[in-house]
Amino acid sequence: MNYPHWQLVIPGGLLIAFVAVLHVFVSHFAVGGGFFLAVTESIARRQKDAALIDYCRRHSKFFALLTLVFGTITGVGIWFTIGLVSPEATSTLIHIFVWAWAIEWVFFFVEISAAIIYVKTWESLPAHDHQVVGWIYVVASWMSLFVINGILTFMLTPGSWITTHNFWDGIFNPTFLPSLVTRTAVSVFLAGIFGYVSLPKSEGRDKVARWSALWIVAGALVLPLSLWWYFACIPQFSRLYFDRGFIGVRHAIRGGIGFTLMALVIALLCGLWKPRWMRRPPVGFLLVCGLGVIGAGEYLREFVRKPWVINQVLYANDLRPARIDALQSQGVSDTANFLLTPDTASSNYGENLFYLQCGKCHSVAGYRAMRWRVDGWDTEFAADILQHIHMLRGTMPPYPGNKGDRRSLGRCLASLNPSWQFTITDANRLAVGERVFGARCGHCHTVNGNFRPLRGAFENRTPSQVRAIFPALGEMSSNMPVFNAPDDQAQALAFYISHEAGKPMPFKQPPPEAPTSRSHSRFARPARPWQEVP
Amino acid sequence: MQTVPIPQTGSLPLPGPVWLFTVLLVVSLTLHLAAMNSALGGGIWALWNYFRGRHAEHPNSRRLASELALMLPNFLAFTVTLGVAALLFVQVLFGNFFYTSSILIGVLWLAVIPLLIAAYYGFYYFSYTSEKGRGMSGFVLAISFCVLLGVAFVYVNNMALMQSPERWQAMYRAHPNGWNLNVGDRSVIPRYLHIVNGAIALFSAILAHFGMRKLKADLEYGRWIVQRSAMVFAACTGLQFLFGMWMLMAIPRHIAIVLLQDPLAVTVFGMALMSAVAAMLLILLGSFAEKNNAMVHAGFGMSLVTLFLMVCLRYLLRMIYLKPYANLGALAVSPQNGVIALFMVLFLGGLATVGYMLRLVARSGKTRISADGPN
Repeated sequence: MNYPHWQLVIPGGLLIAFVAVLHVFVSHFAVGGGFFLAVTESIARRQKDAALIDYCRRHSKFFALLTLVFGTITGVGIWFTIGLVSPEATSTLIHIFVWAWAIEWVFFFVEISAAIIYVKTWESLPAHDHQVVGWIYVVASWMSLFVINGILTFMLTPGSWITTHNFWDGIFNPTFLPSLVTRTAVSVFLAGIFGYVSLPKSEGRDKVARWSALWIVAGALVLPLSLWWYFACIPQFSRLYFDRGFIGVRHAIRGGIGFTLMALVIALLCGLWKPRWMRRPPVGFLLVCGLGVIGAGEYLREFVRKPWVINQVLYANDLRPARIDALQSQGVSDTANFLLTPDTASSNYGENLFYLQCGKCHSVAGYRAMRWRVDGWDTEFAADILQHIHMLRGTMPPYPGNKGDRRSLGRCLASLNPSWQFTITDANRLAVGERVFGARCGHCHTVNGNFRPLRGAFENRTPSQVRAIFPALGEMSSNMPVFNAPDDQAQALAFYISHEAGKPMPFKQPPPEAPTSRSHSRFARPARPWQEVP
Repeated sequence: MQTVPIPQTGSLPLPGPVWLFTVLLVVSLTLHLAAMNSALGGGIWALWNYFRGRHAEHPNSRRLASELALMLPNFLAFTVTLGVAALLFVQVLFGNFFYTSSILIGVLWLAVIPLLIAAYYGFYYFSYTSEKGRGMSGFVLAISFCVLLGVAFVYVNNMALMQSPERWQAMYRAHPNGWNLNVGDRSVIPRYLHIVNGAIALFSAILAHFGMRKLKADLEYGRWIVQRSAMVFAACTGLQFLFGMWMLMAIPRHIAIVLLQDPLAVTVFGMALMSAVAAMLLILLGSFAEKNNAMVHAGFGMSLVTLFLMVCLRYLLRMIYLKPYANLGALAVSPQNGVIALFMVLFLGGLATVGYMLRLVARSGKTRISADGPN
């Protein structure tokens, strides 16, 4: 709200992800691929293997065309995108780490110079000198990764920087080393995958195929170990996300593991065992696997930082905690620099608030759509739950606005769907109850899941006993919104809760509010999609 | 709510003194512009000579186009690399202005990325195919050049908009989706023409310098390059004065008055004018010489000095524009001295490393480092 909000048709975070995944894919190849070329050239020169040298020459041309152009420009693209979507976060990082970026730029400059010289001097430079240039590239590119890794890991684990504000505390933060090892392993993994792009057609083909496969295997073997180390170092709130049944997290984990395993299998089968099988389709599939691994990793890295963009410094909506306090007391209209309408009574104001406050992560009907997340909400319920929004599943920051803002935004959210009208019969009572549960309770609770399960409170209660509790919900906890659903929906909800809580349970229930036990994680999935937190 | 909303920069102090960031910004921007001028100016030179060289009676044009073709991707590589440094330092000092203007023209600003990628690959395509005379080469180069002209236009839009906060609110309310252009600012068009024409001028000076170095190996070819580039340089420098005057008249009167009353700005302006005239005279006079002539090299040097002075003047003009909204002197500063020292050491080490690699190349004696695309 300090800056104007760029009102896109997709959430800004998705735009960042799109640019970042492509850049990370190529930039990690730029690190690993340079290492791959330097080592391969050394071996080829030592063995006087003309076919392998020729392969290196051709591969370096592909390498330069991809990394110098696409890798470099998409790197600038990340700068542009984060500045457009999260200017406050970008400014904050710049103020803390401008000298780190300046140092990284030095390595980048050396890296670019070395790459250009390396690729152009195969014929002209003596073999030794050419290899020296290659190794200079390797060191410069890895050092560039080293520095950037410090800034990226700081965003999740600022460590003691929070109290000291010391540059080195920020760079060498708790996840610096595991992340560095992980990224190096990914670079090696990708170097092997991309090694197949320039695979010779005849002489030396098998040798290159086996050699590239070894790189994929090496990277894939280190990855689980380094990720386990990384996982052990991330904050407690981040670790909880792996147990809370988020569909996106679950898919990213499965995807990351799946793509890595598939790449490993292809490398073993078509690379090491039967190199003649390594044709375009498996190479193409390997590239897809590489991109999939990067996509999954980047998704998880971003997700586990929620609700922060910089842990304990800045929320994902680009607001500092202190600023949120001010907004809650003064309201948006009195404090925001850029509003489309100052008329707080107009419906446009609520829409403006939606884009301003939710638009960085949510869309109306597309990615992370609010439409189905708020289906069944009325203005009063929406305005009330907004003040507890940070209590849902931990991914949302506190609501940055006053009561009037909550009401305006609530009205906007409620208008995204037609209001519910049910004719409840015995046949649909359970289904309607389930929908009401999803709208009214499912954002914070499960019945039999391991996240704030209601089973303990409602087990062995009849629908009428459950129904009798609803009016008192607001008094049970200050974090509960007022229950104001129409009576027929309340009846259906009571029926559903009573029915679900009465089901026999095949496993031991974890304690409420402490869903940390990984042994129960397979039961953590939400009953229905709308139970995923926005 | 403020009449002119200016985003606050937050509570974190600057991690170094303002003067240091200013120096780094001005120097890195000068180097970036020199590379950008080479890419843009080199692009038009290559394009013209490529089409001219398709006729058998213009072998020099054909040869020059081929040589330039192999340099163009490198020019663009260093335009981007050096631009990253300038982008970094402008964010430190003027981030709140820069981010806001970028958001207001967000769509076009982000479009710079795919456009640059397209132009870059176009340059590579031209460098691979121009010598073989493939039909699409010139066409692809023409597209790349036009794309770069478009990128330059977006940049001029943004840089002009970031120093005009009074325009922001209306633009945001008109198009919060970033579909804005800053063409309502009268100074944008002359500023753009000044930049593009300046790019052709500066690259012509670079080419004159390049031609002089060719004299020894091929007198006729070298002279041909020097004389043509000197003429173009003189013509473009003359045009620069016109575009500069137009720009001066197009900026708001109160800004122009403050600029022309500021002793430092007037001094820099005067020096820039003198160095431009000196560069023009030196290169023109030197171009008539039969052999390697120091005047052309000096003229080339003076053109770089002019570029540096114009960048300084641009910075001073921005400070005048932003005077009601920004006070760099009032920013809290907490220098990260150890890291600054490390940066300096690594910077020198980086330069030494690049120098070492270039020495390896020079020592090999056979390479055509700047003139041989990736095989």
